[in-house]
Amino acid sequence: MSVPATTAKEKASAPGVHPRPLWSVRPSSDREAGDAVVSNFLLHWFPAKVAKASLDWGYSYWLGTVSAALLLLLVLSGGPLLFLYIPSVERAYASVKDIEHVVAFGSWIRSVHRLSAHLMVAAVFLHLVRVFLTGAYKNGTGRGQRREWNWVIGIAMLLATLFLSFTGYLLPWDQLAYWAVTVGTNIASSVPFVGPSLRELLLGGRTIDQPTLIRFYVLHVIVLPGALGALLVYHMWRVRKDGGLARADREALLAEKTAVPPTPTKTYTLLGVARGTGPTVRASTLEAPATTVNAVPDLVRRAAIVVLGTMAVISMLAVAVRSPLEEPANPLVTPNPAKAPWYFLWLQEIVTDTTVRIGSFTLNGAFLGGVLLPGLLLLVLTAWPWLDRSPAAAAGRWLPRSRRRQNTLFLAFCLMVVVLTLVGTFGRGPYWHFYWPWQERPEIPARI
Amino acid sequence: MEKRTDSPYPRRDRPVLAGIGVVLVVSTVLFAWADRRHDWRYYQLEFKRLVGEKLGADKAKAVPSGIQQVWVPGLGRADRCQTCHQAVSWKGFESAEEPFRTHPTAPLQNHPVEKFGCTACHGGQGWAVDTDEAHGQIAHWEEPLLGPALGEQYSLAGDKGALVQMNCNVCHRYDRETKGADAINLAKKLVQEKGCRACHRINGRGGTIGPDLTSVGEKAPEQYEYGRLSGQKTAFAWHVAHFKDPRALVADTVMPNFHLSTLDAQALAMLVLSWRKAPVPAEYAPGTPRSDPQTAEEAEQERQMKTGPGAWFVKTGCFVCHSISALGVKSPAQIGPDLSTAVEDTQSRFGRTVDDFLAAPTGTMAVVLSRQIVLSPAQKAEAVQKLREAFAEHQRQKAEAEKAGARAGAAGGGH
Repeated sequence: MSVPATTAKEKASAPGVHPRPLWSVRPSSDREAGDAVVSNFLLHWFPAKVAKASLDWGYSYWLGTVSAALLLLLVLSGGPLLFLYIPSVERAYASVKDIEHVVAFGSWIRSVHRLSAHLMVAAVFLHLVRVFLTGAYKNGTGRGQRREWNWVIGIAMLLATLFLSFTGYLLPWDQLAYWAVTVGTNIASSVPFVGPSLRELLLGGRTIDQPTLIRFYVLHVIVLPGALGALLVYHMWRVRKDGGLARADREALLAEKTAVPPTPTKTYTLLGVARGTGPTVRASTLEAPATTVNAVPDLVRRAAIVVLGTMAVISMLAVAVRSPLEEPANPLVTPNPAKAPWYFLWLQEIVTDTTVRIGSFTLNGAFLGGVLLPGLLLLVLTAWPWLDRSPAAAAGRWLPRSRRRQNTLFLAFCLMVVVLTLVGTFGRGPYWHFYWPWQERPEIPARI
Repeated sequence: MEKRTDSPYPRRDRPVLAGIGVVLVVSTVLFAWADRRHDWRYYQLEFKRLVGEKLGADKAKAVPSGIQQVWVPGLGRADRCQTCHQAVSWKGFESAEEPFRTHPTAPLQNHPVEKFGCTACHGGQGWAVDTDEAHGQIAHWEEPLLGPALGEQYSLAGDKGALVQMNCNVCHRYDRETKGADAINLAKKLVQEKGCRACHRINGRGGTIGPDLTSVGEKAPEQYEYGRLSGQKTAFAWHVAHFKDPRALVADTVMPNFHLSTLDAQALAMLVLSWRKAPVPAEYAPGTPRSDPQTAEEAEQERQMKTGPGAWFVKTGCFVCHSISALGVKSPAQIGPDLSTAVEDTQSRFGRTVDDFLAAPTGTMAVVLSRQIVLSPAQKAEAVQKLREAFAEHQRQKAEAEKAGARAGAAGGGH
């Protein structure tokens, strides 16, 4: 019995074996470009080849990447804050004051964290809007596509983002924090039957106190980031498994079917992610090589532009925009008006607008505006991929004619949310009266 | 070897990526610079120079640099004021400009900086190290520096630096008199003289006609009604205006106008704002009283009023505004007429009998008898009865005095 001798050269050229420990940013061949994806841990979630159409700035606006970059910034800036912030009612406020005034780069780190959080809510929302308007939750030609489930995961990620931001709101333990959380949890308590228990579960009691702070803290630094991280990994895995963006499918759908004989040197293992030859490989790469480029370096470069660009913008904004810290939390003094965080203000606006007083009788709008309406909206939004009956060809392009009606409906809803958010954020003054920007508001009194 | 697929992207994207790189470098420089740029760096250099000039290079070397902090765990304060105000404990800069001035030594003997910090007395935001934020005249900070600048803003009638005495009185609230706190001492004297306790509870003692003032200093600025206050909208300004003319701010108040001077009104405003709940650790106020008991003399006076012939008027609360001199009851406020002659007075002032007037009062008494002192018909009858008795006593005393006067006159004439 003799084992065929294999030379070192043969070993090195075998599929899946990579002689170079580092991948090249300037691959000299497609093979070398593909190697990077296999040999580098961080790059392994990219395909070897990517459709040019997917790289367009104007299709996706890279909002998902921007969101991910903001999440990265949040994790990076949250790290030092974990060492500096003290989750105790007595010391939380003082520790934030210390971060703000004497910790080296503390004020900047806190601003990076806060701005990234606010902008992430916006970026994730805009990402959702983009996906809806381009019908990108629709399946195309590939096998095993489950884009509708990635849409559902996306909505779960939006919720996780919102609750991450909301739980972070309480931590500085100032008036803004205390009363925003008061408004938020009071709305939660208007859920029929379980509302009060839900509020008690969230607060760890009936008032906002140390048990609330530690609950929100643990949710903010362990539970929700863990959940969002797991969802993110699954979201990205599904993107790969579904053959990339819906745009790429569309290209394959429209491309002339000119069969290219498979060449034996082209093997893309895809790390076992896709069954058989993955949809991208079959549809876009082999059959239409002119429409694709190597992920390394072209996709990596664009991703770097977006991620580093986001970092640069946030870094400069954080120098210009200091994070506010109001008076220490005081349960006895309610600021006028007490506002929820801005991304919940459209709900607070609906709550106050639907609260009707007839004599001594009050119809509480918290159930309608705070529970029923957002609950229904969430349900409809989640189920939309199954309600959407437009043709597969409508996916992967902006505002197609065949989806005009549902896009109009969705845009109207978005417009309502945006307008109500703007009204709540900038228009509402003391006693929830409406003020135009040029109208003078009552002076806020001071002690001395 | 196979070739690489052509790509249009390197040509388009490389300049963009390079641009982002430049922006990243700029942003890094920007935040590093923003973090370093603080006034205190300049003040520390300047102080070092001053010490060098005045006391020599050796001493200048001993001037510490970097953020300076006094951490006072007992009061929960970290005061970084000495980061700029480095001269506080250096002798020889008594007449220098702030922030290079030596702290007067007298108050520091009983209140060492290491134990009390700075902001416990002076106000301001000890956490901060930049001028505006540290001096606390910014949004969302309720304890501004109680210095002469703020006194100037309020046009204090007396010492412009008097506002700091508010913080003296947080610990010294039970002192009858505190050394160095002239405004507060004046206000405490006024509280005794004007008889504020007739209506208000203060330090757990006093009447219930007005609100309890024991911790009125805790009342949030948002909780005052500023509708009729002109000028600055602050709790302090509100109290000054209210002391000068209560009815100008609160239309239906029964608090009398004591016609206080600006100096008095400002002192009283400082006093009431100093009545805060701030718990003072025992070791911080050794030797200062921890409660506000009556003196023996005051207690005796009160006992006499409560058990004497005028006890009914004291118990019912009439004495707050009215003296009943015939029965030995002296009103602390004395804003109403003496009730000894009420039986006559109602006739001459309103043209009505005292029964009639009490049954359907007019003017101030209509407000008082419907809100502060609500009497049942039986009690009103009792009041009329008591007023008649007081009048009888008044006439008896008057007759006696006349008789005595006549006797004295007759005796005088005899000579």
